[in-house]
Amino acid sequence: MSEYKFSEDQEKEIASILAKYPFKTSALLPLLTLVQRADQVVSPEAMVAIGKRLDVSPAYVQSVLSFYTMYHTEKVGKYMILFCINISCQLNGSDKLLEHTAKKLNIKVGETTFDEKFTLHREECLAACTEAPMMRVNDTYYGDLTEQRIDQIIDSLD
Amino acid sequence: MSEVTLTIDGISVTVPKGTKVADAAKQVDIDIPVFCYHEKIGPLGCCRMCLVEVEKMPKLMTACTMDVAPDMVVKTTTEKVEKAQKGVLEFTLLNHPLDCPVCDKGGECPLQDNTFKFGPPDTRMEFHRANNVKAAPLSPVITIDRERCIACQRCTAYSERIEQGQGLVMLNRGFNNEVNTFNNEPYDTRYSGNVIDICPVGALTNTDFRFKARTWDLSNHDTLCAHCGVNCNITVGTRLNQLMRIEARPNDAVDDGWICDKGRWGHNFMESQNRITAARENSVGSTKPTSFPNFPIDAPTEHAAEKVVEAFKKIVDEHGPDSVGFIGSAYATNEESYLYQKMFRLLGTNNIDHKTYQDTPGLPIDHYDIEQIESSNIVLLIASDPTEELPILDLRIKKAVSNCETRLLCLNDQDTALDKYAHLKVKYKIGSEASAVDALAEGLARELGEAIEFSSTLDQTGISADEMKSLVEAVRSSMKVCVVYNPAALSGNAGLRVKRLLQVISKIPTVECGAIPVAPATNAVGAMDMGLVPDFYPGGVSVKDTEQVQSLWGENAPTKAGLSALEMIAKAKSGELKALLVYRSNPAVDFPGGAQVVEALKNLDLLVVHDMLETETTQLAKIVLPSNGPGFDEGTTTNIGGRVQTRRKSLDTDHIADWKLINVMLKTLGDETGYPRAAKVLDEISMKVPGYQEIDSRGVGKLGLNREKVSCEESSIGNASMDSSDKLRLRIANYLFAHDKILDASSKLAHHFKASIAFLNEKDASSMNVGDGDAVRILGNGMEINAEVKVDSRCKPGGVVVPKISDEQGVNGLQNLDGSPAWVSIEKV
Amino acid sequence: MTQILFKDINKEGLHTMKVYEELGGYQSLKKAFAQKPDEIVAAVKASGLRGRGGAGFPTGLKWSFLAKDVFPRYLCCNADESEPGTCKDRELLLKNPHLLIEGMILCSYACQIETGYIYMRGEFHDLSFIMDKALEEARAKGYLGKNIMGTGFNLDIHTHLGAGAYICGEESALLNSLEGGRGEPRMKPPFPAVEGLYSKPTVINNVETLCVVPYIVNEGAEKYASLGTEKSKGTKLVSVSGHVKKPGNYEIEMGTPTSELIYNLAGGIRNDNKLKAFIPGGSSVPMLPADKVDTPYDYESLAAAGTMLGSGALIVIDDSVNIVETTLRLISFYMHESCGKCTPCREGTRWLYQIVERIMQNKGQLDYIEKLEDICGNMSFKTFCPLADACVAPVVSSIKHFRSDYEEYFKNVGVSS
Repeated sequence: MSEYKFSEDQEKEIASILAKYPFKTSALLPLLTLVQRADQVVSPEAMVAIGKRLDVSPAYVQSVLSFYTMYHTEKVGKYMILFCINISCQLNGSDKLLEHTAKKLNIKVGETTFDEKFTLHREECLAACTEAPMMRVNDTYYGDLTEQRIDQIIDSLD
Repeated sequence: MSEVTLTIDGISVTVPKGTKVADAAKQVDIDIPVFCYHEKIGPLGCCRMCLVEVEKMPKLMTACTMDVAPDMVVKTTTEKVEKAQKGVLEFTLLNHPLDCPVCDKGGECPLQDNTFKFGPPDTRMEFHRANNVKAAPLSPVITIDRERCIACQRCTAYSERIEQGQGLVMLNRGFNNEVNTFNNEPYDTRYSGNVIDICPVGALTNTDFRFKARTWDLSNHDTLCAHCGVNCNITVGTRLNQLMRIEARPNDAVDDGWICDKGRWGHNFMESQNRITAARENSVGSTKPTSFPNFPIDAPTEHAAEKVVEAFKKIVDEHGPDSVGFIGSAYATNEESYLYQKMFRLLGTNNIDHKTYQDTPGLPIDHYDIEQIESSNIVLLIASDPTEELPILDLRIKKAVSNCETRLLCLNDQDTALDKYAHLKVKYKIGSEASAVDALAEGLARELGEAIEFSSTLDQTGISADEMKSLVEAVRSSMKVCVVYNPAALSGNAGLRVKRLLQVISKIPTVECGAIPVAPATNAVGAMDMGLVPDFYPGGVSVKDTEQVQSLWGENAPTKAGLSALEMIAKAKSGELKALLVYRSNPAVDFPGGAQVVEALKNLDLLVVHDMLETETTQLAKIVLPSNGPGFDEGTTTNIGGRVQTRRKSLDTDHIADWKLINVMLKTLGDETGYPRAAKVLDEISMKVPGYQEIDSRGVGKLGLNREKVSCEESSIGNASMDSSDKLRLRIANYLFAHDKILDASSKLAHHFKASIAFLNEKDASSMNVGDGDAVRILGNGMEINAEVKVDSRCKPGGVVVPKISDEQGVNGLQNLDGSPAWVSIEKV
Repeated sequence: MTQILFKDINKEGLHTMKVYEELGGYQSLKKAFAQKPDEIVAAVKASGLRGRGGAGFPTGLKWSFLAKDVFPRYLCCNADESEPGTCKDRELLLKNPHLLIEGMILCSYACQIETGYIYMRGEFHDLSFIMDKALEEARAKGYLGKNIMGTGFNLDIHTHLGAGAYICGEESALLNSLEGGRGEPRMKPPFPAVEGLYSKPTVINNVETLCVVPYIVNEGAEKYASLGTEKSKGTKLVSVSGHVKKPGNYEIEMGTPTSELIYNLAGGIRNDNKLKAFIPGGSSVPMLPADKVDTPYDYESLAAAGTMLGSGALIVIDDSVNIVETTLRLISFYMHESCGKCTPCREGTRWLYQIVERIMQNKGQLDYIEKLEDICGNMSFKTFCPLADACVAPVVSSIKHFRSDYEEYFKNVGVSS
């Protein structure tokens, strides 16, 4: 296993993250997020490096990471589409729209497109129920979805 | 601690405050079923099996998480409780395969038992059970059946709270959660096997035991582990006189319920190809006149033993009693050591020893047992590395630090794994332990206004004045100190200096204190107690104390101090020592001096080795006698905490027991005592050995008995001095899984074997221009060994730490024959 | 209707210090600092404010439970908003971050806290930037930092992002997560007020709860208490979603009839369909049939109707839906979000899912309904945290009120769906 190196900018950010907490293990989720936003994935090497930085075992890091759904240990597409299918969205037709989206991307739900541009996941409630049906593409929320709107959104992403 | 009285199922029970309801129920034999709760690990509240009804509480409560409260009324058999128990068991069994007929846990499975007692008669589950992985290796010695796992988290909690290594964790969440390691790496800590014992189902099994036997077909033998000085209690399961498995047998005073992996799997030596099964005569030293009367090759062992004694007598007659000697073993039982010292003292010599370091029996202060660590608020660890030397002591110290507010102070020449639990860590230069220990004693004495007859030289140690001041202050201001020191890792007379330090500590009026000497060998304390030393009879009776010696041991008992083991080797070399009996010891590899030891042993007229496995030393012996050793032998050992416990045999053998063989030798010498049973030897020990008066086989029982404190003679020691050199001081460290005669190539633990490593300080490494991974030769005492460099700050500059990783490595040979701290140089290959 | 939290919610630039202060923001600080901390706690107690996150525990009482004389203490704002149907906190965070900061300063002053964290669900990554910016503005203004407004009171507040776990909205799981652990709930006792974050006394309050505090300090407890009903004081944000024409977050006075929310504020049922059912307080509370639509929206009335106010998420379901479908989706959610620690929850949620799925495949047995109810009984109140109970709620209530929807599937047993 090769050694994971944080970039200079990341080091700066790590320092400011650590400054927030009296105990450094609190920085675990923020550091995992930091790594994932840079690499789109959290590699075993990164887990070792984060563990070392925070004085916890790599197994502990993996244990925590695997508890949360937002971390990926396998590479995902440039655009991560999280499609809400929970109750308010379901009532507003999300199942069909999700199917439509999958067809549009020519993948199954849970898969990544061949060009590694899109990954499509079913997602539980994202707290935008009054805009149901909705989806989150990377950090952006898109509500009041229709088939046309989905097509437009996907086509507008490059 | 205050007591609380509550009622469980109408029965009143009084327990200490803070007790969990589940444990309180046990006191009155009320069975509250549990899976996840383990009293040593603490509450988890996962499995929900222990739901009980508590008056005034609307919900059912988990008995394992709930502290008792005054006047609490608990009911464990109401309809509501029974419904809940059935419900929880139904959930638990929902995805658990019913493969009990082929499960190794069958017959001793809490899930089976709880289902039998509390469960529903059938399941309403009609869907396919979850298809989790069957029988995957979690390590080379542990198998995990994921489909049997009920996710109770006992094992992961053990890893987190007891081992404190976070090696085994829960991955994922919800229904997908699983017990696993980082990146599927093996879970192979020093104490990993305990998860097998605590798994309440057959999910974690002993790979070595899988499908070997049904648990109910095993004969279980309650005995002791014979590896290190903790003497953990174990149960050996055998079938048809074959060892099947080893499990922990909880004894709070000793092991707290845990054993290390070496204890669990390091038993292959019992069936090793290398065992010595018959007495034999080697054709060694043919150019020298042998004093030994030949014996027929197929003679019984007893016959050979008689001949050995005759030969020794003859040599004593010709050259005087000082011409013979005995090197015993810190691995032998008390009975064996006792009888052997008796035999050699009957021969008229005190040339008796078992070690290569200086030490005296007894302590000037209380000898604490292991449990006292938890009630001490300071543990001062000197020159000891429990993680590698006495793993279960390591667990106890960690427990004390994390649960009992004990503060750990480390005074050592190297970094150890326990350092991270230390409140204060003070590191001295390799070889400067005498000065470091003296400086602490002096500092404390000054604080006390005590007159001191020595002055320490702190500047030799590399310890700063401030560091020493904090160390002094931490000890002085504590309420109860337990000094844990390893005499075997202290060079020169530093061990005696520790005893002087203990005396100083005992003078602090506000401090209660005791010590635990932690030489790593199985029965190091027992060997000292049994008088396997040249200047003390058993029980710390000095040879100089003529009156007591003669009253205990007769008019003719020798009262001249004998030779130490290293002196015997030196005299063998010079020809003054003619005959040597070596019992379960391998000086050729384990003593300092290396080739010189071999030369010296070859120079003897008669070398007799009594051992269980072939060693480099047996190859040099004229006569080899077979020893049964652990598994087959019986007797008592005294652990580091002064607890005398019984090692019982687990396997039968046709070979004569060691104590019987020594008895034969004693008889040949004219000793008419005769011991029909091993227990009779113990009876004599209790009569003759101060400190052992209360010890008898009944008292020792299953869980052992602490012997009384063995008193310690004050010795006068001057100021420490240190020579200097531009070479590096060598520190030989211990490695638990060293590849030696006990853990041979066929060992189940062979995956732990390591390559030779030299830990160099950054400073020395850069001046020598070597870096991580460089291959080097280490030269000293005219010998050389190979190693790979690891650069860190394990020791201070001017030293090198080399763990002893195998017999073949030969690291002890780098030391001088006199055992003084070795200077070595390093050459890049 | 009195608007406290949403008074200026759509004002341009409300999220900036400038606009917020122009509208009277941060005025409460001076008032608060002139009082003793205990007086603020007393005022919050007197206001009758109850936790808006779901449990409805009296806020002032919670504050007063902090272990005496143990410091440091921490404040954790629960901004993990994850309860299906709920999106009110998101609107507050997005549009009015300073209101939350002001509320947190007041709470911290009252409880002698010097460090606060805003635990936001990981998906609120963008919102955390808005919040960070607002915090920066507050620091620049001297509302946060050392010796705030010359009072000697110190406080800093930081944002902290989760990473996708519903259970972290449970306060003790939130603490574990904030400490860098798996979001598994903790044993209680000890309660967070005694041993919370880093084993120190900790106040955990929902975003909306903390946002109410400036009003109480500014206008007085009495004024707040005069709103709402006898036992459910003040106003409440309700997220109305599902089959309504105008889904949205609405601030109502406690006790407003639910029908008012559905038919007036949210514009009635879409396509003018008929109301079939509604879930008044987020997916974790029992659903009610249409005939309960006039139930006043407050803690007591909803409890009397057999459900709970929960997090204030009103999910409206029209008669085009078979309730079993909705129920299965909710079970699936809880199965996905169960932390897996307690056996009844880990195994039970999945078993319920398997049974209801089987029913929907027209493969159900007639005794399945009875079995479902029994399994629910074995799950509820048998676990560490209320997630198992939350999963049970839709199952039990759907069977209770819409048994015929299940029976629909049994009619077709053997016919593949």
